[in-house]
Amino acid sequence: MRPFTYTRANDATSAIKLLTENPNARFLAGGTNLLDLMKEDVERPNTLIDISDLGLAEVKSIANGVNKGGVSMGGLGKNTDAANHPLIRQHYPLLTQAILAGASGQLRNMATNGGNLLQRTRCPYFYEVSMPCNKRAPGTGCGAREGINRMHAIFGWSDQCVAVYPSDMAVALAALDAVVHVRNAAGQERQIPIADFHRLPGNQPEKDTNLVHGELITAIELPPNRLADKSYYLKVRDRASYAFALVSVAAALETEGAMIKQARIAMGGVAHKPWRALKAEQLLVGKEATEANFNQAAEAVMADAKPLAHNAFKVELGKRSIVLALQTAMNGGKL
Amino acid sequence: MDEHESPELTEDEKRLFANLMPEDLSEILDTGVNRRHFLKLMTLAGGGILAAQSAVAEQLLTRPLTPAPAIEPASVSLDNAVNVSFKVNGTVRKLTVDSRMTLLDALRERLDLTGSKKGCDHGQCGACTVMVNGHRVLSCLTLTASCEGKAVQTIEGLAKNDTLHPMQDAFLKHDGFQCGFCTPGQICSAVAMLDEAKKGQASYVTQNVRQTTGPARLSNEEIRERMSGNICRCGAYPNIVAAIQEVYSGKPVEQVFRSV
Amino acid sequence: MKDTNKAVGSPINRIDGIAKVTGKAPYSMDHTVTNPAYALLVKSTIAAGTIQDIDSAAAEKAPGVLAIITHKNAPKLNVKGGLRGGALLQSPEIEFFGQNIGIVVAETFEQARYASRLINVTYEKKEPKVDFDLVADQARMPKDKDKADAKRGDVQAALRQATHKVEEVYETPIEHHHPMEPHAAIAEWNGDKVTLYSSAQIVNGAQSAAAATLNLKPEQVRIVSPYIGGGFGSKGGQWANLALAAVAARQVNRPVKLALTRQQMVNSVGLRQHNRQKVSLAATADGKLTALAHEITTHCAINDEFVEPCGDCSKIMYDSPNSLITYRVVPMNLIVPTYTRGPGKSTGSFALESAMDELAYTLKMDPIEFRIKNEPARDPSNGKPWSSRTTVQCLREGAKAFGWEKRKPEPRQNAQGNYWIGYGVSAGTYPAHQRPTSALVKLNRTGNEVKATIELAAADLGTGTYTILTQTAADALGLAVQNVHVKIGDSDLPPAAGAVGSVGAASYANAVNDACEKITQELLTKSGKQFFVRPTAAQLMLSEKLTDYQTRVDSKPPEQAEEYSAHSFNANFAEVAVNKSTGMVRVNRFLAVTGAGKILNPKTARSQIIGGNVWGIGMALTEESVVDPRWGNFVTRSLGDYHVPANLDIGHLDAIFINEHDEHVNTLGIKGIGEVGIVGVAAAIANAVFNATGKRVRELPITPDKVL
Repeated sequence: MRPFTYTRANDATSAIKLLTENPNARFLAGGTNLLDLMKEDVERPNTLIDISDLGLAEVKSIANGVNKGGVSMGGLGKNTDAANHPLIRQHYPLLTQAILAGASGQLRNMATNGGNLLQRTRCPYFYEVSMPCNKRAPGTGCGAREGINRMHAIFGWSDQCVAVYPSDMAVALAALDAVVHVRNAAGQERQIPIADFHRLPGNQPEKDTNLVHGELITAIELPPNRLADKSYYLKVRDRASYAFALVSVAAALETEGAMIKQARIAMGGVAHKPWRALKAEQLLVGKEATEANFNQAAEAVMADAKPLAHNAFKVELGKRSIVLALQTAMNGGKL
Repeated sequence: MDEHESPELTEDEKRLFANLMPEDLSEILDTGVNRRHFLKLMTLAGGGILAAQSAVAEQLLTRPLTPAPAIEPASVSLDNAVNVSFKVNGTVRKLTVDSRMTLLDALRERLDLTGSKKGCDHGQCGACTVMVNGHRVLSCLTLTASCEGKAVQTIEGLAKNDTLHPMQDAFLKHDGFQCGFCTPGQICSAVAMLDEAKKGQASYVTQNVRQTTGPARLSNEEIRERMSGNICRCGAYPNIVAAIQEVYSGKPVEQVFRSV
Repeated sequence: MKDTNKAVGSPINRIDGIAKVTGKAPYSMDHTVTNPAYALLVKSTIAAGTIQDIDSAAAEKAPGVLAIITHKNAPKLNVKGGLRGGALLQSPEIEFFGQNIGIVVAETFEQARYASRLINVTYEKKEPKVDFDLVADQARMPKDKDKADAKRGDVQAALRQATHKVEEVYETPIEHHHPMEPHAAIAEWNGDKVTLYSSAQIVNGAQSAAAATLNLKPEQVRIVSPYIGGGFGSKGGQWANLALAAVAARQVNRPVKLALTRQQMVNSVGLRQHNRQKVSLAATADGKLTALAHEITTHCAINDEFVEPCGDCSKIMYDSPNSLITYRVVPMNLIVPTYTRGPGKSTGSFALESAMDELAYTLKMDPIEFRIKNEPARDPSNGKPWSSRTTVQCLREGAKAFGWEKRKPEPRQNAQGNYWIGYGVSAGTYPAHQRPTSALVKLNRTGNEVKATIELAAADLGTGTYTILTQTAADALGLAVQNVHVKIGDSDLPPAAGAVGSVGAASYANAVNDACEKITQELLTKSGKQFFVRPTAAQLMLSEKLTDYQTRVDSKPPEQAEEYSAHSFNANFAEVAVNKSTGMVRVNRFLAVTGAGKILNPKTARSQIIGGNVWGIGMALTEESVVDPRWGNFVTRSLGDYHVPANLDIGHLDAIFINEHDEHVNTLGIKGIGEVGIVGVAAAIANAVFNATGKRVRELPITPDKVL
């Protein structure tokens, strides 16, 4: 860990100002990933601005605007509190399950909603500083592309980077069309749809998100929906708990009689961002909620998959997981 | 004020003292004899008494007493020093720390509270679990600097008035450990976890997360999932679950030792 | 014997339990020393080659740095002193990725960690041998004569003639011990003597290896190790970090704390090697084995050979007229492998017991009956009689208790919702030995109360040593357990065997019992009286009005023990649920039935067995260390990447012990249980996965991708 100055921010405006002025400064919120990476010498900030006193932690109903009737979660709220808030549990059980599928009780008590969005990949070549990694050290190459890539991407990767984004929470947010609210030094607010928040690696794998240095995540908004009755977050992993996903699926359905009126499918553990399967969702609309139709949708999602040397299994596993998640969603989220 | 040294005997020391010289205990406590005197006294009492005592006595007395600095900035010059004042097990502690110092290292290296363990230092094992403002967190991923004004509870603060915390008792009875290294983290985690359940918090294995009224019901499966952030390499998990189930349910969980 | 036998065999709580649940038990890094400095190791970032230069100028100037020690300025150490794994900073040669190449010592841990990142190393690289698949065909016969080819009869001929046979290759990956306590030492010099507070499964071994490496006499090194945060073999032999802590402390002339980081554990303290095991079995149509061959290929370090004995179970488990066990080993640029829980037997039994299951299916026989049919009357490898053998009992009793009759013989016949349910069985074994151990017993009387102190340099790594020795001494002396105090884990105490290879309980308890017998006998003689009923030592202290008396014994295993083949035996029963969609495997129920001689404490013994089972479940389902085949680094270098089982991975575990009186193995009839609990576990689970799904996984771990 490099030496850094520690500053405790009293208000959002001054925190944002401090960050904006110093390209080597970072916000410290939960710290669960940042301190981990600093100990590994991957992150090397010279200043930490502790933003845990800024408030911005509330979960509340949205009274006005496009997302009226939805729910807003503060960017600095703890994952535990978001997952367990009655408004989230009642109206967005998919999000509750996704958050609770991630990490451990202790980590969720520390990690914030905004910080969860900004988690960095757990690619071991990113973490081991003696290894090549274009994300950590642009231009050094990708250790995983021709190396051990069982855990890596099957969608949207580039020769520069095959890492996957590790968050579970964000996969549910992708399925729920969440909107990320950020504020900059000029006091301007901007809203980033979750689909545009994270990036594919392309030629700039060092950039995980479209957030600009100096911006603070103030809130995450969830638009109202009719998906709460039929949703499920499925996480497949190498051990039963406390492990990152091989594949995860956030699935939600709205049905009318036997017909699917609306479907949402997003995947984790397969790409550099939460992988929303819009095409497959469209395939399901107007169809019956049958295993055959779920299979067809799953096939459609996986048609675009480009597996690497060690992760071809994710294609088959992904298909089966989509089907199982949709079936479980139909069953009210109960296995 | 001597920050390094608690003026009072620890619960263990009291217990030990009570075992050795019960008639003197109240006097010692009333007159405020401090740890240093106590330990000197114990050393003078000699091997005969010591030999007969428990493992607790053994290691209390084999841990040498360090000369404590009168005030706590450490003797070395620290980079980016931060002053922090926080409560640890009910006592206010004031430290000047390197901004990089984690809460875990502050507890262990500066406050002589070595119960919290460094198993991985990266949030992947749970051995460093402590409670901050009542919530279980990982002290290895918590900066000491960020603890200003907070209340930290560690394994050393769980036993009260000569009595083990029920969770400590249950771990002892159910043999919820072998090597014991993960145990302080397991116990802190378990204590806080039961509080989370009482508040109705859900887990990934909760059947219906939309049901939000009342405390969570903890099946063994619920306990397993909620305790999965505490790795036990010795594999004491079934015993840990039994211990927690006993405290949760308030009823003895049967221990079966089978042979044929 | 005595009629006061009441502590031994009763499930008392751990004597060291209160210290553990209150956080007061001092592990390596918990001991208090005055004004410590903090050290961190610097590791190589190549697997083969030579260090050309180490530029430590920036690190030396970093705040708080006290010393930087590399091969350029390290003191001369004895690389053949007995520490394992080399990496003692004696040369610029690099033989594996993550080899120690330096030590940074600073005023604080934070300063040392930062400075360690400022060291620049330039290497002349060589092509490393790090891809097992590429070099496996270069494997040669091991130097170790125990690993020479063992042949009986003609296996090939029997295989050719057989109507029913299995010839398959089973793979077990590299595993790491990952005890919760990373290896660490606090070194404190006093003149020319050094105290090392460091976890050691073999206290005297650590002392002699550290001393020899540091060019000191053993009495100049004291190892203090009252509590061990897990070891599982990795703290049996000791490693460079132990001596380097002493080197650093000498250099800066104050106590030094040196702990490995979790990431450094993967290339500092050994590993369980990757084993490629071909098992060939042949049987007659009615299930009598006619051939049993077990051919093992594995790897070792470039200049150091260690081969875990994967053929041991195959040597003794079943009767076959034709038998072949071979080992081949290839040096690679990886740290030297070492003993890992159930060394050889846990991995070897995966191959053997999977193959037995496969052949049972071919024969359409119940796998329990098939095993029992091939039960050997004597040890097939040497013709010796068994000191006792409980395999059949373990299988029969286990089948009853587990509800084996509910098993559907054919796969995919037992479904519950979205899960396939399967049952699997295996049998296992681990040798039982007693090793020389000394023990000192001191009696002290105050008024009418007699207390005892037992002293020996034994180790307790969660195995229950404190507890079982307290119980043993209490009974042998006629005292209550509260009046017995056991002191272990210090090389200043009488020398003792290590807590390794399941020899701890037998060696320690027999020595303590012998010491108690001796002190009783001496007190009897001293009293000069004759008694109708032999009094206890405690009674003699009272009757003779003695205040202090002590004696020491140097205990050895009984000579006639060599005439017998002595082993613990077990049978494992697993019920798994396999998710039909995702392939995730869950062990719903697991039962281990164990015949391990006298059980000194049913509570700690059950924990030992269950702990071994959890290790086996990890081996079966989650654990794998992956090497990058180009560079030789471990890709799975953290506990986030290397999956030790978590609480939710473990279903209902149950343990049954066979009430066994083995009068040959040693005086107290103790066989040891530290290792046998893992033996056969992975096979039972793999067999259950086959029974559930029809998918035979021969390559561990059984992760979802392999079951799909």
